[in-house]
Parts: sequence; structure tokens; C-alpha cells
Amino acid sequence: MDKQGFLAALREGLRGLPPADIEERVAFYNEMIDDRMEEGLTEAQAVAELGSVESVIAQIAAETPLVKLVKEKVRSERKRGGKGLTTALLVLGSPIWVSLLIAAFAVVLSLVVAAWSVVIALYGPALSLVVSGVACVAFSVVYILLGNIPGAAFAVGAGLAAVGLGLLLFPACNALAKALVKGMKKLVQGIKSLLMRRKGAE
Amino acid sequence: MDVQLKRGILDVCVLAAIRSVDSYGYQIIKDLKPYVELSESTLYTILKRLEASELLTVRTAEHGGRLRKYYHITAKGLQYIEEFKQEWKGIMSIYRFIAGEEESHG
Repeated sequence: MDKQGFLAALREGLRGLPPADIEERVAFYNEMIDDRMEEGLTEAQAVAELGSVESVIAQIAAETPLVKLVKEKVRSERKRGGKGLTTALLVLGSPIWVSLLIAAFAVVLSLVVAAWSVVIALYGPALSLVVSGVACVAFSVVYILLGNIPGAAFAVGAGLAAVGLGLLLFPACNALAKALVKGMKKLVQGIKSLLMRRKGAE
Repeated sequence: MDVQLKRGILDVCVLAAIRSVDSYGYQIIKDLKPYVELSESTLYTILKRLEASELLTVRTAEHGGRLRKYYHITAKGLQYIEEFKQEWKGIMSIYRFIAGEEESHG
């Protein structure tokens, strides 16, 4: 890929950013390529050293706060509406996509809440198993005092089994919670790249 | 490595790279290469952050018929490096204690 191709693809991929930011980023990469060529690299080599355009865009998306992307989205939609549509359509149209954005946000939020409640619903039983198990073992003392040895043995056995089961559940809960956090990071990443690329295409 | 910790160290690395003489993006990446592998987008973010905190200033100058951005460390930036060094002196002594390298005190 040559320099112009790389910079054009970069500019296209960063459309979700404020225009001033896009120009500054592109100028930065332009300088980086020129400096490498000055050192004796060919244009293709210099471009290749920066990595693929896709990975560069993905990294920039990861480093850009989600709030900034959403703000720019709101700003550009307003501007576009003002340019192309009548005032009536602007008034009617703008709230529609704003409410759509809010609805999309609400859906994502409810998904996240639902996922977390599953994790909490698993931690709950695990904890209660451990607590009730300990209580059960402690209660065996009463059986001993009453002289009911088989009863005491049963209480100890059942209690230990409950504690064991509860403890076994904890690592599973942890793994699930970790997977969830990872999934959520990916979700945010996905939303970001959507906001970053789609601006012009819609 | 902890993300916050790494970010703090990279900031100081970039400041150190422009400490004695003004430098530009690619030169900074080359100077830091033996110590840390810095991608362009990471460097961009760091430079933006340092500029916003007034630890460095940016000027555009002509170079070989094109424009190039040069980064200049401010007094605040130099002080930032000094503070970092002081802080790490303390951390290094804790490290020596943890690693068991500290002289034993009979």
C-alpha cells in the first residue's frame, strides 16, 4: 500500500472522530511515513512498518473515550440535519434518532444488568451453601450434648458436603464473572468501532 | 504490567526523550526502542496528554520542504521527571527489601 492509500483509508476509518482530530491524526501518520522514507525506506516499507490500517484504526478506537465518539455523533447528526433537511424535518427527525440512541443504550444496559444478575444469582447459592454448611457442623454440638451420636455424625457430614459444594461453586462463579467482564470490554469496543466507521455510511 | 503504572512510566519515558533536545515523533520512537516498543497511536495519545498537562509544548517547523512537529519540554515537564525519580527511589528501596537484597541490620 502506498502513502496516499494508507492515509485515505485512515481518514475514512476515523470518520467518527471530530474533523480536527482526524486531520491531526492523518498529519501525524503522514509525518511518520515521511520520516521513515527520509531514513532510506521505500514508501511501501515505511507504510508497512506502521501496521495494517485496520489495526491502527482499532487501536485508535480503543484509546478514544466512548463519550467523545457519541458526542461527535450527536454533533455531526445535528449539522447534517441542518444542512440537508427542512426545519420541520430537523425538529421531527432529530428526536427520532436521539430516542433510538437512548433505546439502543437502554438495551445494552439491560443486557449488562441481566448478565450480572446471573453471576450474582450464582454467587448467592454458593455463599449460602457455605454458611449453612458451617451452621450445620456447628449444630452437631447440640446432637452430641443430647447424646445422639448418629445425628451428630449426619449433621457434620451434611455440613461438610454443603461447604464443599459451595466452595466448588466459587471458582465457577469467578470464571463466569471474568468472562463477563471480557465480553463487556468487547461490547464497548464493538460499539466504538461502529460509531467510528458508520458516520458517513448511514 | 498494571495499566496505570505502565501509562505513568511511558509518559516519563517520552519526556526523557525530549529532555536535552527538542525532538519529533519518529525520533522519539527510535530513541525509546531499546527500552519500550511504542506504537504510533500510543505515542500520539501520550504527546496529546503531556501537551494538555503543559509538560511539553509543540511547534511546527519546516524540514526538507515539509512540515514536522517538534516537541519541547517545559519547566513543569523537567520537574515532573525529577518528581518521578524521587518517587522511584522510594519504590526501589522497597523493591530491594522485597527481593532480599537489602543489607541485613544486625
